[in-house]
Amino acid sequence: MRTIVKAENLEKTYRIGSVDVPALRGVTLEVEEGEFLAIMGPSGCGKSTLLHLLGGLLTPTSGRITIDDEDLTASSDARRTDIRRRKIGFVFQRFNLFPTLTADGNLRLAERIHAGSGGNGMGDAERRREVLRLLQLEDKMHHKPLEMSGGEQQRVALARAVVTRPAIILADEPTGNLDTENSAIVLNMFQEMNFRFNQTIIMITHNPEAAAMCRRIVQMRDGQIIAPIATIQI
Amino acid sequence: MLDLVAANIRQRPVRALVSVAGVALGVCLVMLFTGLARGMSNDLQRRSSNMRAELFFTRPGSKEMMTSTVNLSTKYVEELRKIEGVEAAVPVIRYISQGNRGFGYEQIEGVDWAAYASMNNMRIVRGRAPEAVDEVVIDETKARNNKTDVGGEIQIFGNRSYRIVGIYTPESGARIKMSLAAMQDALETQDKCSYILVKCKNTGEGRVVAERIDAALPGNKIQFTSEIILNIEKSIPYLGVFLKTLVGLSAIVSALVVMLAMYTTITERTREIGVLKALGASRGYIIAVIEQEAIVISLLGLVVGFTVSFVAGFLIQRVYGLVFEYGWTWAVIAALIGLGGGALGALYPAMRAANLDAVSALSYE
Repeated sequence: MRTIVKAENLEKTYRIGSVDVPALRGVTLEVEEGEFLAIMGPSGCGKSTLLHLLGGLLTPTSGRITIDDEDLTASSDARRTDIRRRKIGFVFQRFNLFPTLTADGNLRLAERIHAGSGGNGMGDAERRREVLRLLQLEDKMHHKPLEMSGGEQQRVALARAVVTRPAIILADEPTGNLDTENSAIVLNMFQEMNFRFNQTIIMITHNPEAAAMCRRIVQMRDGQIIAPIATIQI
Repeated sequence: MLDLVAANIRQRPVRALVSVAGVALGVCLVMLFTGLARGMSNDLQRRSSNMRAELFFTRPGSKEMMTSTVNLSTKYVEELRKIEGVEAAVPVIRYISQGNRGFGYEQIEGVDWAAYASMNNMRIVRGRAPEAVDEVVIDETKARNNKTDVGGEIQIFGNRSYRIVGIYTPESGARIKMSLAAMQDALETQDKCSYILVKCKNTGEGRVVAERIDAALPGNKIQFTSEIILNIEKSIPYLGVFLKTLVGLSAIVSALVVMLAMYTTITERTREIGVLKALGASRGYIIAVIEQEAIVISLLGLVVGFTVSFVAGFLIQRVYGLVFEYGWTWAVIAALIGLGGGALGALYPAMRAANLDAVSALSYE
C-alpha cells in the first residue's frame, strides 16, 4: 500500500491577542491509499486543526505535510488551493451547501471548480446522477437544501465531495448533526465510497459507533496523537 | 458560474434592485443632462443657422447668443446701412427669462418684423405680424408644443399677457417675437437694442465689410454669425465643466452603490466563500463570481437607466418643450460608467472575499 497522506511532526500555534495557544504539538501520521481512518478525541484536542492542515486550509507553524507525493507545506497558497481542488473533498458537520442552488447545482459547482479552466462548465451529468442514485437522492436532484431533511442535506454534501472523485475525503464530524438513522445511512455511504472508488477517508468523530466502521482509529489528546495504545487497528 | 450568480441575485431581490437603481441613476444623470444640453444646443444652432445675416454688430462686453444685455444704440442702424457692401442692418433685442413652467428658459426677440423677415426669408403662415405693444408672433414648433395658435395668449416678463397674432416659419432665433418698439417699451430701453444683424450684398464679402465697419465705427464688436453658430456649446458658460463633473459624479454614485451592495453580500456570504475555498476555488474564481454578479447588476442597471432616460426625455419634451437629443458618444460613455463603476465598486469586496481566511470563513456565524 502506498502512503497518500503523510504528516511529520506537525505543530500549530494560534496567537490570540498576545497569547500563544498551541493546538498541535508534534503530530506525526501516515495514511495509506484507500484507508478509512477515524480521528477521535475530546473537544479542543486539535482534531479539526489537524484536518484543516491536511486539507491545506491552514499552514502549520512547523512540520511537513505530503499529499500524494506533493509537499503541501512548501507550497504557496495558490498551489495548496490547486492541490485541494484536484485531490481533496471536504464534508462538514454543518453540511455547508449553497442554499441558493439545488442538489444538482451544488454538485455542478464542485465539478466546475474541480475542472478549473479546463472544464466545459457543464460537468458530467451522468456521473452526478450516478452519485445521487448511490446516495438515494435521485428524486431530490432539483431540490434546494432547505427543501431537504438534515440527513438528505448531508448526503448531498457527501455527493458533492465525491462527485469529482478526489483521492482523499476529509470529513469533520459528518454525523454530528444527524439522528441515528441518518448517521447510519451516511456512514454506510462513506464505506461504500471507500470500497467502490478506493477513496481515502479521514473522518473526525465523537461517535464510537461511527469510528467502529473505520479500519483504523486514531486517538488525540492535548494536540497530540496518543500512541501506540489508543491507535486501534481494526 | 452564472447559475450561482443568478441564484445569488434572486436570493436578495431588494438589494439587487437597489443596486440596479444605483447604476440606472448614474446612467440617467448622464443621458438626461447631456441629452438636454445637446438638444438645446442643437436646437439653438438650428434656429440660428436660419439667420441669413453674415455679421453681428454689438457693443464690447455683451455676450452673443445668451444675452439679455440691451446696451447698443439703434442709431448705429442707419450708419451701418451707409457702409459700402451692407445690404441690410436689422436691430434685435434678445431677452432671456425663466420658462413660464418654472423649468428651463425662454428667449424672446424684439424685431422690426418686416425687415427681419425679409432678411431671413421668413413668412407668416397664419395671422399677421406683431404691431401693438401687447402682440407677439411665435413659430410653428412653439405653437405645437404649447398647443396654442393665433388668438391665444402667452405670459412673458413674469405675468404680462401677450396676444398671439401670427405663426411664422421657418424657426429662426427666439421662438417668440414681438416688435422692437414693444420690447423697448417692456424693458424701458428706448432707442436701444442687443445687437444689429448685418447682411452683406455679397455673401463672400463678410470679412471686407467687417473691416470697413470697424474702420467707420471703431470700438464696437463685430462677429461672424457662422463662428457664433459653431461655438454655441462653448458660449454656454462652463457647460463642458458641468457635464464632466456630472459624468464623474455618476461614476462615483454607481461605484459606491454597487460597492456597498457587494460588500454586504460578502459579509452575508462569508461562510459560502469559505466553502468555495474548501472546494478548491482559486482567488481568481472567487473574484470572478463576485465581479460577474456586479456586471449582471450593472447590465440590468444600464437597461433600466437607458429606458428611464428615453421615457423621461420624451415626457419632459412633451410637457415642457425642452429638446432632448441623445448621442452615441454619450450613450457609450454612460454605458462605460455604469459597467465600469459597477465592476470597480465590486473589486474591493471581491478582493476582500478572495483574501478571507478559509477556516475563519467556515466558522463564521
